[in-house]
Amino acid sequence: MNSQTITQGAPQALHHTWLIARQEVIKGFFNRRGIIALLAFVLVWGLILFYPIKQAASYLADPAIREGLASLSAVASPRKLLSWEIPELALFWVISLYWFPLFAILSSADQFATDKSRKTFRFLVQRTGREPLFFGRVLGQMLLQSSYILVAGAATLLLILFRDPALIPAALRDCVLVLLNLFIVITPYIALMAVLSLYASSARQATMLAVLVWCVISIVSALLGYYQPTLPSLDWLLPGSQIDLLVDNTPSGALIHAPLPVVQSAVLLLAGLFYMKRIAL
Amino acid sequence: MNLIETDKLTKRYGSKLALDGVSLELKPGRPVALVGPNGAGKTTLMSLLCGYIRQDSGEMRILGHTPGHAALLGKVSALPQDALLDPNFTVIEQLGFFARLQGFGPKDAQHEALRVLELVDLKDSAKSKPGALSHGMAKRVAIAQSLIGTPKLVLLDEPTAGLDPANARAIRDLIASTSGDTTFMISSHNLEELERLCDTVLYLDKGKLSQSLSLSSLDAKRSVAEAHLTLSLHSEARADLQPRLSSLPGVTHVKAQASGREFILSYAPKPTGHDTYELELALFRLLAQEGISYRQVLNGKSLEDKLFS
Repeated sequence: MNSQTITQGAPQALHHTWLIARQEVIKGFFNRRGIIALLAFVLVWGLILFYPIKQAASYLADPAIREGLASLSAVASPRKLLSWEIPELALFWVISLYWFPLFAILSSADQFATDKSRKTFRFLVQRTGREPLFFGRVLGQMLLQSSYILVAGAATLLLILFRDPALIPAALRDCVLVLLNLFIVITPYIALMAVLSLYASSARQATMLAVLVWCVISIVSALLGYYQPTLPSLDWLLPGSQIDLLVDNTPSGALIHAPLPVVQSAVLLLAGLFYMKRIAL
Repeated sequence: MNLIETDKLTKRYGSKLALDGVSLELKPGRPVALVGPNGAGKTTLMSLLCGYIRQDSGEMRILGHTPGHAALLGKVSALPQDALLDPNFTVIEQLGFFARLQGFGPKDAQHEALRVLELVDLKDSAKSKPGALSHGMAKRVAIAQSLIGTPKLVLLDEPTAGLDPANARAIRDLIASTSGDTTFMISSHNLEELERLCDTVLYLDKGKLSQSLSLSSLDAKRSVAEAHLTLSLHSEARADLQPRLSSLPGVTHVKAQASGREFILSYAPKPTGHDTYELELALFRLLAQEGISYRQVLNGKSLEDKLFS
């Protein structure tokens, strides 16, 4: 059988990828669904910043409370987390590590599903290859999620500025590393949702498939761990399996765990591209 | 170079054979009709040519390239059946985006989008979202997007289905006027429409290409052993009309159909230069003598009769 893969020239393919990503970002910010997601995001993060982060940071800023927490239990105490210079960022880090992956799953569940079932891609593949279409959509989601992370990070910096402006230089340095880490953490989630969204016929179905993937791999991993304890754990197959190791860590120390999500993203994107080239649109 | 070339093209959906070894060669030129009953494989053939789906076996080439090849981007476009535009963007935003993908600059893309919308008389709806358009308007927008740029081949799947008669006619006129540089392949159940527009007719049945007819040459008619006239009447004819038609000069056979309102006269054509219209003149004399009101006299058979009689 002839290959129907489009092999565009690299400049044209890159230009198409950028155009498609930009269209995705515009859709993410300006359509009704995008605006609702943005409003929900701002509301939730407003509450998170003003209550848990602001309140807890005022306590954690007190060295005596930090020492008290550190001495509670030698095992359970988050020593590295308590060593962060700016408590607002430490709390932002912990909450973001769980919030943004969840948000990425929900908001990137419709990278392909609805357009595929609506056959909208048929208008696009007359004009561009499947590779730019795939990578353009994924890049668009990455840009969207990154902008959400940036906004949350900037709001946290504002909070720090209001409490103590002298902390801003240190906060900026740590914030860059935190945001970079968060971006790396969410990338495999977006890649996995790209694959599931290609298979599913709706965003809801893609989300259900994600739940299924996590349940099945977790159960299989647990069973293997029980019956074959000598075998390595399969947990690393799942995006976010390194998050527990990141929580009690420093911004620079967390980067040590970056290779796993990077490799997971690369494998998932290759699988997605392979599938994209073969499915009926 | 052939515009479209397929060789033993086969496609299955599960156990159903949608296309069964279709081989064809088409040159650029006048529109090509693709006809056949529901489920015959017309949309499957179009989807394969557009690169939406992959064949199970066989070969196909458009302008010498496999469907979906980069060299064909912007040269092959289509009105895909049932495909819907993104409801999140306005018509002009989407058509402009398509034009950008086809290599237009930002401003030129807007102009191109407006140009094609004007072709389908929908410039006023440019800022509407697809959800605000009627079925017919959405179809016209979908046709408009297929005309962006200068495509060499446009595949139209049921272009006038669901359109009101005035707009269906406007689309037919648009196809006829654009046919110079662009070759259209049109899938439709409206044989009368296809007969007006197309030069070549491909008839698919049960996934097989069962007939390929050329409607172009009237002169060719003169060279064949048997030619036809189709007479349509306003009302049911008297019983004695058929034998009287049979007695007209050169007529070899008369077939009555449509409850006696239509007759197909078969006759042996005379060589060019002889009394070419002898039969037609005799026919009109007969109709005048009998006071029979006719609706149409067609030189040849209708496409429907060609395909199914």
